[in-house]
Amino acid sequence: MLPLSYALRNLFRDKSRLLQTVGGSALVVMLVMAAAALNGGMKQVLAASGSSRNAILLGAGSEESIQRSEVSAQLSGIAEATIRGVSKVMGRPAATAEIHYMSALHTADGEKGQALFRGVTPSALLVHPEVRLIDGTFPQAGEVMVGKLAWRKLGIAEDALMIGKKVLLDKSEMTISGVFAAPGTVMESEIWAVIGDLRMLAQRETVSCVVLRMDHPKYFSDAELFAQQRLDLELTAMRESDYYAALGDFYKPIRIMTWLTAGLVAAGAIFGGFNTLYAAFASRIRELATLQAIGFGRFAIFFSLMQESLVACLAGTLLASALALWLLDGMTIPFSIGAFTIGITPGVAVIGLVTGILLGILGSIPPAIRCLMPALPKALRS
Amino acid sequence: MITCKSISKSYTKGTNIVTPLENLDLEVGRGEFLALMGPSGSGKTTLLNLISGIDSPSSGSLIIDGENIASFSRKQLTAWRARKVGYIFQLYHLIPVLTAFENVELPLLITSMSKAERRQKAEEALEIVGLQDRSHHTPSELSGGQEQRVAIARALVADPALLVADEPTGDLDRESATMILELLQKLSRERGKTIVMVTHDARAAAAADRTLHLEKGKLLENEPHL
Ligand SMILES: Nc1ncnc2c1ncn2[C@@H]1O[C@H](COP(=O)(O)OP(=O)(O)OP(=O)(O)O)[C@@H](O)[C@H]1O
Ligand SMILES: [Mg+2]
Repeated sequence: MLPLSYALRNLFRDKSRLLQTVGGSALVVMLVMAAAALNGGMKQVLAASGSSRNAILLGAGSEESIQRSEVSAQLSGIAEATIRGVSKVMGRPAATAEIHYMSALHTADGEKGQALFRGVTPSALLVHPEVRLIDGTFPQAGEVMVGKLAWRKLGIAEDALMIGKKVLLDKSEMTISGVFAAPGTVMESEIWAVIGDLRMLAQRETVSCVVLRMDHPKYFSDAELFAQQRLDLELTAMRESDYYAALGDFYKPIRIMTWLTAGLVAAGAIFGGFNTLYAAFASRIRELATLQAIGFGRFAIFFSLMQESLVACLAGTLLASALALWLLDGMTIPFSIGAFTIGITPGVAVIGLVTGILLGILGSIPPAIRCLMPALPKALRS
Repeated sequence: MITCKSISKSYTKGTNIVTPLENLDLEVGRGEFLALMGPSGSGKTTLLNLISGIDSPSSGSLIIDGENIASFSRKQLTAWRARKVGYIFQLYHLIPVLTAFENVELPLLITSMSKAERRQKAEEALEIVGLQDRSHHTPSELSGGQEQRVAIARALVADPALLVADEPTGDLDRESATMILELLQKLSRERGKTIVMVTHDARAAAAADRTLHLEKGKLLENEPHL
């Protein structure tokens, strides 16, 4: 076997080629890591947003969009009185009517964005325990509380949504009473108001849905039974987790597009890499032939070339990981139903590392084969 | 040591066939220093490549040290070369990223020798060519003559019975060439190496025990000098 030091010294024979190999592999690894982090972040926010303990009662036929669903404003009272298995916190049933409504929001500074509003009752905090006021108070009439990442989803300045500031929902002015956190969920990008205010704003008599928190996921069947028996209410019961999982399927094409884009750019970079490596190996054809003349087998020489390419690609992977941690980690990405934070998790790092290793190994095979194929007498003369 | 029996080598180039060697017979004794001369294109390098197992003959038998290498596969030839042959090139073919010592050590990496043994053998080989004080220099820091001496050290370090050299002095000045030729003579006489050397230079050929002339793929003359 040829020593590793031979492979390492070969790396530095042509600095510009080394730079190309390291840079190219860093680009590919970074793209793959970005795609993995994006998809992971989106998947995670959708998975975390729905609880399997929560049952949503919504209008039959509106399973794909709560915003389009309409149920009677009285449903909440009927449901919490009829359905067994609804959690009670200090005697209060964990159930809330909600209106989900998307509309423009204007800030006092004249900025504007599409916001997701949720009209709720105070019991909503029992139904969605991950929602926690971090500052201010729960909204009264004429007030809203904003999720910590709402500014990101809206694409406006963060301080436009500070407590005490006024915002315009359609044409009515509301005051921000509080800021809430709901880590890792889409709710954190929403704006919550009292349900009565939103009913006026959306000019509707009905609400979008009723959300019930059950004592245990298995009591979902009680909510399901209720929806089946009360044909007059035209309801469907859905687990909240299933609702968001279905939304996840809706975003699948976007996820595929992300991979496709990353894949296409990566393919370009890989072919560039093949050429760079080929040029590097081809400039040493006579030397590779000399090693064979001395008695090194072609596999031993191939292994050394592969080491060379692997080390360059691992350096690229290291660079890509550092860049990803610096530039991508913790970045929030807005999408149509909220915003999510992407993280360079250990999983993403492993995907990056595997990509780097595969690039190093597979990338060296075609150029190495091409340079080790020629007949020995001919290669020795070149 | 070397017995070639009616060996031929031909290459197909597109539609026509080139036959640089045809029905050639050759006998080289153990420890003999043979010079091969002949005009350009007469098949000297081709013959040397066959003898050294770099290439295989199209037909005929090629028995070296009792083994018929004509029937060896590429893989077998590679392993055989590592044990039996040291090749010395006109343009030295040293590995530029390795020091003189590391270049000389290379053939030993194929063996199962320990690091200490390799070190000792490589140092010995460098001493034989008189370059022990240059062992940490890279090829770019050596003169042509020194490079060729390192290449000779590399060729002999694994103690092969056969050394082949293709115009080893072709790129050197007179003084360096003389030194190389004296070195080859010494290896043949004192260490019993069988040496086949291709050369264009009659003065170089004079260093050998015997000179053969190749012309159009045939051995023409046989002039022994004493
Ligand atoms: N791989 C090959 N394919 C086709 N023809 C070849 C090949 N190798 C050698 N030849 C031909 O074989 C003939 C002999 O070549 P060879 O290299 O053995 O000559 P040589 O005697 O070493 O010449 P020189 O003194 O110029 O080095 C030449 O005509 C050459 O063109
Ligand atoms: Mg020649």
